[in-house]
Amino acid sequence: MIRKMFDVAVREFSATVLTKAFLIGVFLPPLLMIGAVMLIPALMNQKPPKTQGRVAIIDQSGVTMEGIRAELSPERMNATRDERREQAKKIVSESAPGIVPQAQMDTAMDQALSQALGDGPSLTVESLAADADIDAAKAEIPTTRSKRDLEGTDPRLALVVVPARAVRSATPETEDLAASGGERPTNTGQSPGTFESFELFSAPTLDIEVRRVIERAVERSIIDARIAAAGLNAASIRALISTPDSKSVTVTKSGERQTSEVAAMLVPGAFMLLLWISVFTAGQSLLTSTIEEKGSRVMEVLLSAVSPLELMTGKILGQMAVGLLILAIYGGVGVVSLIALAMGEYINPMNLVYLAIYFLIAFMLIACLMSAVGSAVSDLREAQALMGPIMIVLIIPMMLWMPIMRNPNSGFAVACSFLPPISPFVMVLRLGGSEPVPFWQIPASIALGLACVVVALWATAKVFRIGVLMYGKPPTFRTLLSWVRMA
Amino acid sequence: MNSAVSISNVRKAFGDKVAVDDLNLEIPSGSLCGFIGPNGAGKTTTIRMVMSIIFPDRGDIRVLGKASAMESKDRIGYLPEERGVYRKMKVSAFLKYIARLKGVDAAAAGRKAAEWLERVDLADNAKRRCEELSKGMQQKVQFIASVIHEPELLILDEVFSGLDPVNRKLMRELIDEQHRAGRTIIFSTHAMYEAEQLCDRIFMIHHGKKVIDAPLSEIRHRFDARTIIVEPIGPFDEAMRLAAQLSGVVDVQSHRDGLHVTIADNADPGSVMADAVSVLNDPPSEGVRRIERKRISLEEVFIDLVEARGEVLADHDRAQIASIGAGSADATTVTARASS
Repeated sequence: MIRKMFDVAVREFSATVLTKAFLIGVFLPPLLMIGAVMLIPALMNQKPPKTQGRVAIIDQSGVTMEGIRAELSPERMNATRDERREQAKKIVSESAPGIVPQAQMDTAMDQALSQALGDGPSLTVESLAADADIDAAKAEIPTTRSKRDLEGTDPRLALVVVPARAVRSATPETEDLAASGGERPTNTGQSPGTFESFELFSAPTLDIEVRRVIERAVERSIIDARIAAAGLNAASIRALISTPDSKSVTVTKSGERQTSEVAAMLVPGAFMLLLWISVFTAGQSLLTSTIEEKGSRVMEVLLSAVSPLELMTGKILGQMAVGLLILAIYGGVGVVSLIALAMGEYINPMNLVYLAIYFLIAFMLIACLMSAVGSAVSDLREAQALMGPIMIVLIIPMMLWMPIMRNPNSGFAVACSFLPPISPFVMVLRLGGSEPVPFWQIPASIALGLACVVVALWATAKVFRIGVLMYGKPPTFRTLLSWVRMA
Repeated sequence: MNSAVSISNVRKAFGDKVAVDDLNLEIPSGSLCGFIGPNGAGKTTTIRMVMSIIFPDRGDIRVLGKASAMESKDRIGYLPEERGVYRKMKVSAFLKYIARLKGVDAAAAGRKAAEWLERVDLADNAKRRCEELSKGMQQKVQFIASVIHEPELLILDEVFSGLDPVNRKLMRELIDEQHRAGRTIIFSTHAMYEAEQLCDRIFMIHHGKKVIDAPLSEIRHRFDARTIIVEPIGPFDEAMRLAAQLSGVVDVQSHRDGLHVTIADNADPGSVMADAVSVLNDPPSEGVRRIERKRISLEEVFIDLVEARGEVLADHDRAQIASIGAGSADATTVTARASS
């Protein structure tokens, strides 16, 4: 009896696992993930080519040239890049504080960011006369589309035209002042009027990033020039309009703790998804293998050697091994990569034990449903009709993810924890979360789950025994229930 | 009597439909029994009950001395009518798996599978997937699956269906071989020729009831057609006229193989034959080439039984259909009345 079940389980396992479809379906996603993790830095190592060239300026306002030259100087541009790097680091560490030790992250981020940002462009500012011919100046910009053609030359990459009105607004009074060459107003309480914008002509090969650097430099010098024209100090105004970034801290019983929204949502969700994928993949292949045995009429040959109960149990055990394999592969990859990212503290080892127990319960319940459906139908098409409601039940935990994570100990969440067949999913979700689950709920939900498994196995054995030899009219859930009552 | 299978008072109904009704059957050990009956007579249901795949509503089935086949599954070989193979599995792997399930240990299973494939000329196909085999080849593989564990009792459901004449002959030889090895064999079939060739005992069911259960010789005796076949050397119509005048002759029909002379129930076939020979030897007749007592074929017995009962049943069937519609009738009583 035991040996026959074992033989059935072994065949079931190897027939499922040793197929191309399974190997591709199970091993490809983690391989792709690993590939991506290894490949992305390699791709990022390909720094954008260094941009080198001239930026011609026609400064009709007469006051922005020096500002632009200063903004585009190598020292200034390095300083800007350092500033942006710091900002980026801050954003990342705030969205998931404490996930990665600060020092470790800093070095990693520095590397990644300098790779992403690349070497800054090396630009020289070329000052043209205020009354220079714009069209002639434009003509000097190379129109070639290949950067390689420009190598070694010192091409004019862009032409910036700053009109006089960009700095001095078009209000009559300033107009007069400018015309008369009189003194600039020291304090203007009134509206500054409308300003004109500057023009930027660039080569087709110019990086968007470099273009933005030039634009920002010109913008800043124009604004500085306007502030100066208004008789104010640009540096002090900048200091006035900025504040240091804020810091978000959650107050809890155990003291203040930095919030980690992302980790708090993702880790339990990942646990549940892991459970869901392993249970569902194995359940699905149990369904198809049962239908195949019935459809190819191999069923009765098997039943001459084993009893329906032995066959069903063997098949369920075989597919359970398949599910555990998936759980081990995906879970293993997950745990190892979390530890590699120094996020191991987010996994409570006890939760892995609970994951295994709840996998057992969830798988058995789903496997019972799948066996019952698989044995009762004659082909996949008939199964689809019965699978609809089962799928809806299985999707529920997915939809509950957010509401339960937001409020893991609400009455609703506790109720769902005792509602088979979704209770294992909900429990895994809650256990993975940051809010502790009252301990009594764990053994209670496990006991309830196991009781349900026993009942489900009993009912499924009856459906299976009748169903496997039944051909013809596609059954409904009512038929299945009547089979449960029958024998 | 030492019975391999003993069925007593078994009844099985599926909803309103009674598949097997009050069936009693003893299958002697070492016999080769043909199990015949029209489509839907309850053959497969009976066999499944013997195999403990389904269970009777009432009655008792003993298999190989055990209360149920559950306890002796490994000693029974079963080739179901609804049979298949794992399409993606290799032929030898499939046979090994089935052998393992029937309690053969792994080493012996591989060796036996190879031997049997050799025996039925499929050795070259051992490494092919089952789905790549022709239907006839699959049949042979399935037959091997049913005998690979050397069962004491072999139950074959429609073993000849889908086989060409060459493979039918091979299958007959294989079954005969199993029989000579002392195994009890039950095979259900619609192939009357095969049944006649192989069986030493026939049982037939119709509408879930047993209508024949006897050795083939006894059936021939009981269902004697009381017909003499005479092939005259001269013209048939002259001989026909003469034969019709003989005493004890009821009817004469002209067929291609000769005149079929039906004799009265109280007439002695031997004296009618002697009379016929002497009359036809007198001129102007030219004599007799061949004269014999017709041996009834199993097929004729089968058709006679099904059609005769069909006629008797015709009126009752209508009543039965009407009363099922009214929801009050018990199909069993109708069938019982019909057969009485």
